[in-house]
Amino acid sequence: MLETLIELAPEILKATGETLLMLAICLSAAIVIGGALGLLVFLTSRGQSLERFRAFNLIANGVINVVRSFPFIILLVAISPFTRVIAGTSIGPLAASVPLSIAAIFYFARLIEQTLRDLPRGVIEAAEAMGASPFQIIRHVLLVEARSGLVLAVTVLAVSFLSYSAVAGVVGGGGIGDLAIRYGYYRFQTDVMVITIVLLIILVQSVQFFGQWAARRVDKR
Amino acid sequence: MPNTPSSTLAIELRAVSRRFADPGGRTVGVHPTSLIVPQGEIHGIIGFSGAGKSTLLRLVNLLERPDAGEVIVHGNTLTRLSAAGLRQARHRIGMIFQHFNLLHNLTVADNVALPMRIAGADPAHIRERVQVCLDFVGLAEKADVYPGRLSGGQKQRVAIARALAPEPHVLLADEPTSALDPRTTLDLLGVLADANRRFGVTILLVSHEMEVIRRLCHRVSVMEGGHIVEQLDIADGRIPEGSQLASWLSDFGAVGPAASPSPATRPDEAATPHHFALEAAHA
Repeated sequence: MLETLIELAPEILKATGETLLMLAICLSAAIVIGGALGLLVFLTSRGQSLERFRAFNLIANGVINVVRSFPFIILLVAISPFTRVIAGTSIGPLAASVPLSIAAIFYFARLIEQTLRDLPRGVIEAAEAMGASPFQIIRHVLLVEARSGLVLAVTVLAVSFLSYSAVAGVVGGGGIGDLAIRYGYYRFQTDVMVITIVLLIILVQSVQFFGQWAARRVDKR
Repeated sequence: MPNTPSSTLAIELRAVSRRFADPGGRTVGVHPTSLIVPQGEIHGIIGFSGAGKSTLLRLVNLLERPDAGEVIVHGNTLTRLSAAGLRQARHRIGMIFQHFNLLHNLTVADNVALPMRIAGADPAHIRERVQVCLDFVGLAEKADVYPGRLSGGQKQRVAIARALAPEPHVLLADEPTSALDPRTTLDLLGVLADANRRFGVTILLVSHEMEVIRRLCHRVSVMEGGHIVEQLDIADGRIPEGSQLASWLSDFGAVGPAASPSPATRPDEAATPHHFALEAAHA
């Protein structure tokens, strides 16, 4: 196995780089767009400060559910024309980042909305009584009081999409999953399969460990 | 009715009503009710659960929107304001809650600073007010501590400092001592009376504890079934005989700690009611 490892070292490094690239792109998209979407869905839900836009809430909820209903591999194939428009190609890590980002945005929006729902209503109400605007409530209350939950949500997101990115390997998306499929699965090289799995385990453990450490650090409750 | 700003009225509720179905399906809330609280008064609202006391209180800063009627605070008709105007008006209406509602991820000092940050005050002024208000509630040395490390009484003191920081005209108190033990309750009543005396802040306080109302308030409104059924002057700490309140006290006894002096109440206090507002008047 050591020989394989040395022999394939450049490939493994490249694959790891591609996986991290896909993760970086889809996590950024999810945190920025999905995070904003999750906040809006929460604020427009019943009893919250933007309740008057409930129509948005109902539509956004529906769209989130529809996108989350797709098995990822189907989504990957289904939106490939769109992927070609955005990335100019439908293979490689950049192309795979398009469906990954779309799935991650809606996945994270739901995670954020649920994290915020756990906040005690009284704290938001106290801010409303102080004359806080919806934007100030987000900035001074939601992002402050929910911050350890938000860090854990990002952790769950990162772990889930590490494995989703491996699925992208099926359609030539690159990354560690692609390596596992090309060498480990199609060529029956069990040692390569083991190496890639160990690599993924190490990545997942590190993400989880770091996420939990960070969540504990920011939690003063 | 013309909107006549009055410099002597802190709170004026004109025929406000707010009805909604409680979880059991009964209609509860506030029937058309009027209330006038002059500036500088400590006004209590007492009643049984479901009488509409908290709803009435929350109508004052429009946390509950009235179905009908007008809410005027410090000459400002809140029910006619835009969303931005209402936020502006709320900067000068403090509120404290039964469960304190502090932000647990902010230090004590940052909690006290929060309403002023929201109001857009400048940092130097915020620092000064945080210092003044924490000194006032006796927690200056806890400025950098997180609320999770404080006792219930200390948390409510921080909440009071937070409410007083933007120099409010009016302080709304929703069952502020109901989660606290009797000794801590007495301490906090002292802090509230002190705030009224030192800063002239008008206080509207909801409680189901007779003892809290009797020791702190100048006047009390008695609520039942969504109406104010009685208003009494209790600035001398005595419940007028023949009143609804007096009959409740003899019927139920257990409206508050009054009928069964708690172990924490000293015997001499039980014999001669200690009245914070009365003490304030003579100070």
